[in-house]
Amino acid sequence: MPEFIVKITTIVVLIVIWESLSRAGYLNPLHFPSPSKLIATFWELITIGYPTGITVWVHIRATVVRILQGYALAAVVAIPLGLVIGRSYLLQRAANPVITFARSIAVISLLPLAIAWFGVGELARVLLITWGCFWAILTNTIQGARQVDMNYINAGKMLGCGRKQMFWRVILPATLPRIFAGMKISLGVGFMIIIAVEMVGTIKGLGALIQQARFYYSSHIAIDGMIFIGIFGLLISFVLDKLERFILPWAVGLEEVER
Amino acid sequence: MNHSRFTRGLWASWLGFITLLIIWQIISTLELLNPVVFPGPARVVEAAIKDVPLERLLQHIGISLLRVALGFSIGFGAGVILGVTTGWYLQLGSILRAPIELIRPIPPLAWIPLAIIWLGLGEPSKVLIIFLGAFFPVFTNTYKGMLNIDPLIIRAAQTLGLQGRRLLLRVVVPTTLPDIATGMRIGWSYSFGCMVAAELIAAKSGLGYLIMNARQVGQIAVIVYGVILIGIINLITDFIIQEILIKRKLRWQFLGATQ
Repeated sequence: MPEFIVKITTIVVLIVIWESLSRAGYLNPLHFPSPSKLIATFWELITIGYPTGITVWVHIRATVVRILQGYALAAVVAIPLGLVIGRSYLLQRAANPVITFARSIAVISLLPLAIAWFGVGELARVLLITWGCFWAILTNTIQGARQVDMNYINAGKMLGCGRKQMFWRVILPATLPRIFAGMKISLGVGFMIIIAVEMVGTIKGLGALIQQARFYYSSHIAIDGMIFIGIFGLLISFVLDKLERFILPWAVGLEEVER
Repeated sequence: MNHSRFTRGLWASWLGFITLLIIWQIISTLELLNPVVFPGPARVVEAAIKDVPLERLLQHIGISLLRVALGFSIGFGAGVILGVTTGWYLQLGSILRAPIELIRPIPPLAWIPLAIIWLGLGEPSKVLIIFLGAFFPVFTNTYKGMLNIDPLIIRAAQTLGLQGRRLLLRVVVPTTLPDIATGMRIGWSYSFGCMVAAELIAAKSGLGYLIMNARQVGQIAVIVYGVILIGIINLITDFIIQEILIKRKLRWQFLGATQ
């Protein structure tokens, strides 16, 4: 039997068991709502919204806007900086410990600080995303710029490249696959952060949705929200994979060394 | 790399930190920014000594580490056992993997609200979040390692007469250890982040609580101190795992195991 048939059968069987256990009254509906209830809730989230009036599309849009803003800001700063650092041995040495330390700071631990500095608003949320994405993009850009094949550089020199040409025609294209790898990883990081960040001080966004559900003890809403989050996450990584193949066909199979 | 360049580099690796510290101190001495909101290094050190009694601090650290250790070991154990099982018994594996892969795209932090609905605000919900942070990376890496074993190794073992469970435990699992180690490191840093997030959102003790509480009473220097402390503890624990556990125990196969 092909694997995916086995898997789908398993899922279907599990859902049927779950549903029948709920109907028979073995599962506390407050904690483990039945699948049929979850499906009904799905429809409610899409049409009516939770809290009433804020449909799931509004939540998704709020989350997407925050991620994109933070992500774009991180990329704009990290890529040029990474290229400069990656091409200088001394800067690399100076930056390395700082980067190692900055990456070991749990992004979420900056949440209280961001709130204290920038208030409980969009700015704090966006900047936290920026921080989370920044380091992954920066390290990958540095690695990429550092590891440009000397043959390419020498060939460029031999063919008479000036400094400007060397950068735009040789170093940047050779670094792009790593930059993209960093951008891919960091989007995943940003996605993880935003969910936690949205749990504080807002009612819009996927994280806010499940947090609101918790306040009102509505596990069916929380579970549906988590399903939306999961689908959304899968969608992001799917789009990025396709995009990478499309933009950088020569980079397929590149190992993502740095998380 | 010649010698003088190397020593200069070594020196430069401190330069990054020192420059940042000096800039930070200058900004705060000149009072360009409100020193209450943006405390300088001197103020942070002062807060570390005065506002956080050492005894309380050690209690917070101990509780946090205990939580991570508990959630992480359960997650690590479950991840290795399930990863090995699904990678060895492939038929059973595709059944077991179906629900796991369905849940995997949901970031651990998105479980916080549901965990609180299910288990309340006490320890179990935090341990569950930390468990999820560790489980998925360990499981995926173990499973991948099981699938990527060089078939020659298995054939060689079979030629030598090993079969069934002995083949699994004596040859296959040890060959997978480097992948398990990779999963372990990633899983540890994830569960560490999960611990901070869980403590921020609902706790009365621990490092996450320390900084969230400092925000509520407006001791911003304490927040900065806490953030740095969390970073340092994360660095130290990761170093212990990397250097002592992985490098020493897996010296025989360290090449290529982790980045």
